[in-house]
Amino acid sequence: MYDLIIIGGGPAGAAAGVYAARKKIKTLLIAKEFGGQSLVSPDVQNWIGTKSISGLELAQNLEEHVRSQEGIEIVDGDLVEGVVKSDSVFSIKTKEGKSFESKTVLVVSGSRRRRLGIPGEDKLDGKGVAWCATCDAPLFGGKTVAVIGAGNAGLEAVRDLFPYASKVYLINRSDKIKGDAVTFEEIKKNPKLEIIMMAETKEILGDKMVTGLKYLDAESGQEKELKLDGVFIEIGSIPNVEFLGDLVEKNQYNEIKVDHKTQQTSQPGVWAAGDVSDVLYKQNNISAGDAIKAVLNIHDYLNGVERK
Amino acid sequence: MANKVTIYSTPTCVYCKMAKDFFKNNNVEYTEHNVAEDDSAREEMVHKSHQLGVPVIDINGEVFVGFNKREIAKALGVSE
Ligand SMILES: Cc1cc2nc3c(=O)[nH]c(=O)nc-3n(C[C@H](O)[C@H](O)[C@H](O)COP(=O)(O)OP(=O)(O)OC[C@H]3O[C@@H](n4cnc5c(N)ncnc54)[C@H](O)[C@@H]3O)c2cc1C
Repeated sequence: MYDLIIIGGGPAGAAAGVYAARKKIKTLLIAKEFGGQSLVSPDVQNWIGTKSISGLELAQNLEEHVRSQEGIEIVDGDLVEGVVKSDSVFSIKTKEGKSFESKTVLVVSGSRRRRLGIPGEDKLDGKGVAWCATCDAPLFGGKTVAVIGAGNAGLEAVRDLFPYASKVYLINRSDKIKGDAVTFEEIKKNPKLEIIMMAETKEILGDKMVTGLKYLDAESGQEKELKLDGVFIEIGSIPNVEFLGDLVEKNQYNEIKVDHKTQQTSQPGVWAAGDVSDVLYKQNNISAGDAIKAVLNIHDYLNGVERK
Repeated sequence: MANKVTIYSTPTCVYCKMAKDFFKNNNVEYTEHNVAEDDSAREEMVHKSHQLGVPVIDINGEVFVGFNKREIAKALGVSE
């Protein structure tokens, strides 16, 4: 029986692991992979104390910091698939069939990319459907691609694609660009860009590889097709909460509701922090700080201390 | 018997770097093709893996898409 099981190995999970070990809480950390979402970022410039670091190096540092702690146990390369409470004990099951028990749980499982949920998206994933322009743009040299979504991530994807692709469509469902106005003004000047507004993507076309997409032009009500070699989907992210069932309360975005003073969830014994929680700003430093808050509060809880 | 290892990569791909670091740490020799610049290598990669994602790792003819340390270690016969 553990005192604490931490689910996740991003900045939140790593920070929690270090603090829990130093507080001598009997802890197990379970993570699919260390590092978190900014792993793929070529350059993180706001991790406080470090002017510039690649996402990969940041991930390695986080992992090393956790592994250097005495007493913490780690299961990585596995996924939590279920958390069940009975008589104030939490049982946690993993994909590889392991199971563990704990008095408390800290959920720091972050978020993942939102999918369109349309035909062709799954079938052509990796076959022209791509999720990371910084990573995959060089594969589309001389090709025609579309970016779906005009938030910051979408605009940045367009910018990442310019040096490689011969033509880039930016497809936006509404009539407003949600992303940063300065970035938008900058990319608009590039003759490779064609912007299609009020377009709802209906299907990604292709048999073995992407050959195009079908969209509904909301203004004319007509279905139209584009010929393409690649589609980058940038329509936001959704929290990784499925393994919790209805153990904890969530908000309308499926983010776990927490008390922002302690990070406690609606379920006694369960805390959450970072991108999986209903925190307003989703950033590495904030995830780490909020997870630390949670661990300090868990330490109090395990010792029967109540602070007002 | 030495493993014959080929990796298809791009300079911006994080998992390619992870895979190459893993090879280096385990003294595994490998051939690398940068598919961002080498079109014929890109075609070869698509032909072998039927997809466009990187890295693609070919170990003695067995093709892996992505870098899953556990699978790759097993195929190479080294520890994780
Ligand atoms: C491309 C990109 C660039 C970014 N750049 C910056 C930046 O420069 N600065 C900045 O401050 N923020 C940046 N962000 C945002 C930042 O990455 C997130 O706010 C941060 O990663 C959130 O940390 P987290 O620990 O809460 O969650 P995550 O980073 O999402 O980590 C979740 C962890 O949980 C694990 N996990 C998920 N589900 C399970 C499960 N079922 N079982 C076990 N483990 C599981 C994952 O493997 C991972 O280890 C960037 C995001 C992206 C996508």
